[in-house]
Amino acid sequence: MTGAALAAMSDVAVATPLFVDSLLDFLDPGTLASVFVDGLSKAALYVMITAGLTLIFGLMGVLNFAHGSLTMIGAYAGGLVLVVLVSDSTGSVARIGAFFAAVAVVFALLAVAGAGIEMKLVRPLYDRNPLYQILLTFGLTLVLDELVEIIVHFYGIQPTHEWQAAMATKPAFLTATYSLLGLSVVGLDLFEIAFGVLTVVAVWAFLTRTRYGLYIRAGSEDSEMTEALGINVRRAFTVVFGLGVGIAAVAGVLLAWDVTWGASVPLAAETLLPAFVVVIVGGLGTFRGTVAAAIIVGLVDATMTWWFQNVVDFPGLPEMTIFLILVVMLVVRPQGLFGVAEVGGH
Amino acid sequence: MTLLEVDDVHTYYGQSHILEGVSLTVEAGETVALIGRNGVGKTTTLRTILQLTAPRRGSVRIRGEDVTGLGTHDVARRGLGWIPEDRRMFSELSVEENLRIAVKDTDRVGGKLAHAFEVFPDLEQFRDKKAGALSGGQQQMVAIARGLVGDNDLLLVDEPSEGLAPLIVETVAESLRRVSSDTSLLLVEQNFPLAMDLADRFYLLDNGQVVEQGSTDDVSREDEQIRRHLSA
Amino acid sequence: MTALRSYLRRRVVLVALVAFLGAYPGLHNLLVSSPVGTELALVLPRVETMVSVFYFGLFAMSFDFVSGYTGYLSFGHAAFFGTGAYTVILVANGKIPFLASSTPFMLSLLLGAVLAVMLALLIGAVSFRLSGVYFAMITLGFAQVLYVFVRNWDYLSSNPRDGMSVLEHPAGFEVGVPGIDALNLQIASADFVGETISMGWIQLSAAEVSYYMVGLVVLACYLAMRRALRSPFGRTMVAIRENEERARAIGYDTFRYKLGAFTVSAFFAAIAGGLFAGYARSVTPENTFFFLVSGDALLAAILGGFGTLAGPLLGRLFHESLSEFLSDQAGGPHIDVGQLGLLPYLRQTLGESTLATELYNGFTVGEFVEVFVNGHESLYLGVLFVLFVFYVPNGLLGSVQDRLGGTVGSELPAAVRRLWGRYRTELPTTIRRLWGR
Repeated sequence: MTGAALAAMSDVAVATPLFVDSLLDFLDPGTLASVFVDGLSKAALYVMITAGLTLIFGLMGVLNFAHGSLTMIGAYAGGLVLVVLVSDSTGSVARIGAFFAAVAVVFALLAVAGAGIEMKLVRPLYDRNPLYQILLTFGLTLVLDELVEIIVHFYGIQPTHEWQAAMATKPAFLTATYSLLGLSVVGLDLFEIAFGVLTVVAVWAFLTRTRYGLYIRAGSEDSEMTEALGINVRRAFTVVFGLGVGIAAVAGVLLAWDVTWGASVPLAAETLLPAFVVVIVGGLGTFRGTVAAAIIVGLVDATMTWWFQNVVDFPGLPEMTIFLILVVMLVVRPQGLFGVAEVGGH
Repeated sequence: MTLLEVDDVHTYYGQSHILEGVSLTVEAGETVALIGRNGVGKTTTLRTILQLTAPRRGSVRIRGEDVTGLGTHDVARRGLGWIPEDRRMFSELSVEENLRIAVKDTDRVGGKLAHAFEVFPDLEQFRDKKAGALSGGQQQMVAIARGLVGDNDLLLVDEPSEGLAPLIVETVAESLRRVSSDTSLLLVEQNFPLAMDLADRFYLLDNGQVVEQGSTDDVSREDEQIRRHLSA
Repeated sequence: MTALRSYLRRRVVLVALVAFLGAYPGLHNLLVSSPVGTELALVLPRVETMVSVFYFGLFAMSFDFVSGYTGYLSFGHAAFFGTGAYTVILVANGKIPFLASSTPFMLSLLLGAVLAVMLALLIGAVSFRLSGVYFAMITLGFAQVLYVFVRNWDYLSSNPRDGMSVLEHPAGFEVGVPGIDALNLQIASADFVGETISMGWIQLSAAEVSYYMVGLVVLACYLAMRRALRSPFGRTMVAIRENEERARAIGYDTFRYKLGAFTVSAFFAAIAGGLFAGYARSVTPENTFFFLVSGDALLAAILGGFGTLAGPLLGRLFHESLSEFLSDQAGGPHIDVGQLGLLPYLRQTLGESTLATELYNGFTVGEFVEVFVNGHESLYLGVLFVLFVFYVPNGLLGSVQDRLGGTVGSELPAAVRRLWGRYRTELPTTIRRLWGR
């Protein structure tokens, strides 16, 4: 046996108890609880960036590649509203008010824009191979990202870094750390969890408690039969596309405050990829699946972040694990957690 | 005024010519059977009437109004209901939701549902159950009830007895009879005695064309002409 | 001799194109130093640009080989491009066990391709159980796992996020027959690394040498892929695209054919990546393993023509020419000849007074040009791409083929012959008529 191999063996021998120690550290109730809260806040963001994608795919079978770009536009647009409304002297409560004003404005604007995109651009392609819808929305991302870059650059804002002015409109109590049952929690994490829950409840209520939601659930199952019952499914397509885009943009407003994301042009790709992972893991087009998948991916992300920060010296660990979840899920259960078992239906 | 007029329609699936000039009429209050072997264009005729598959030539008129080329939902809004082959339940939706979505007069959803459960009392107990979990016969009931709550003047019924046990078929026939007191039916049915029993008139389809028509009173299965077209 | 002649006749379009490309560097120099040189330099792609059109075009062709011909969208194709690229630089830096940094480039190119084939077998064996969106997503997933991995693995370089450069191999990489010095020429983007040639009236810069050597490899790869597509194997691939159920019913083991096509395509994708790394001498995760690299291949394939093999190269030429046209760069060996992009050109030709003219509310022409021309090729490319999706869904080459009713290589000469035949019979009468008898 060579010396190098021996050295490697002894490395393993040293590493094993180290791993056990770390595992015990991780299983400490305090650590677990804080990882859990962190995971839930990540899950809230994941569910927000994915909900619109799921709704659109569920009803229309369109995989919207422009989804991330619309989140990015939402981040900038929301940031703009916040920067305009908030000054240094604005109080904390007023800042939260400004946030919800930004959410309302951005949702309304982008939902209308989304409906427009559906009517003018996506609709003519329904009769063609679904590939062309992917191609169209992919082309849209190129245009949208570059347009935003031009505009942002023109106003002297750095397009590749987070927009600090928007970040700075966050009220102080969200950046503070609180101790809650012996647990230290960042205010923004709690805010994100609350906002995520609110979004899930709102979308769920819309789907199950309104007549339009009924149309959408029926249309996702069998659009021809729905039409034959006298319901204009094409109009439902437009509404859902608008809604989906609106929710994506609202997610962007929330991200504009989060230090690990922030409004920037690369945010488009940074949110698109995890959104794909969540939507596939949950089962394409099922809202229930998306919520479950977002929680799983959020918790795994938080767990891996802890392991990277404390044990494994590999910064890519959380991100790599997320994509591994995608791959493993597609191997083990391609239809996703709550999807219908027809592989490659679309 | 004639409720439905189908006038010389030609329908294609891609390159294949399925309907080669079909004409038929349904009057208000009538039950009309559309019979013929498999693959002669019966289902396509129903799809053409609903504009699910638009005809390339010819026209479909409802109460004299030309609906050719309209969207399917617009045709359905003019009082047409579809009870398709295989029922096509929304299997993830509850029975009640399946009925609720079929109500066209949205101001009177509650009353319509109550009426449906009156006509089909057996369905009441499954109200909150997912439609996908029901048996074939129960699903057929829901499908017929879906046609009922939509205030339709004409129901296009496709193979309602297919795949059901004889005893169940009798129940289905009974409910169709009950529904037909309020609305007209255009009934596609392989079960010849059942079709003749339910219908006032019939059209016999072969190779995308109407080859025989008349009143069901003076038709027997032994009729040479009909036997030739019904046997494979 | 007759065999050769008939071979050439059957491939007259290919031969003509290769001849044109062979003459292009000289032609380019000639045209750029002509009186309208400044304008021509604006439109004609530089030789350096053409090198990247070649290697990236090869990558786009390899993507088309599997996606355009079997219908399975390989959205993680960048993984193979990256494998080829990283292998070349790792070998050159002595980071691969048992391989010296002096290992011939052609061998490390081949090694990268073999590694890519192994990776493709692994990914494909799992992924081809799926189809449609699911297939695209799982290949994307695999590629992103690798992307994150190479971005963070500090064995690769001191700062893996910024990629890595060639550190221990100062000379340009040699393309040719390994072991025979006379049959090798070095490739590199800069004169001080690569090889220049000066023989009598032939003067070739390093970029021009690279143009020929990279071009040769790409040509060989193209011919190999074309051969494969015209074999029974290729016809089965198309049968799978048209109707997989039927192909299976006839008795084809479609899984093996798909996997085969995938590995062949991975092989050539890695060659393309290796050529890129050899030419550019530094790589980053963003320009190799990232999913937008696959996106660029898709872009080229759609612009040029999906399922036409040569189309993607054309599409990439289109892409690169456009970005060069819109770039604000003024560099490279031809700087003396004229500016390259539209922006410097406009700045020069419009003059101070025009640039200062106010358009709207204090927004001047100069600012307008800065804002909308300054390197924003993605914007215009995106618009063009969307227009293509609507109006030219079969791409440039695909549309030409549709018009001709077959591949350009087989149909163009026939069409020209037909036209010429008609011309020959009609011309005399036309002339006579024009002369008034």
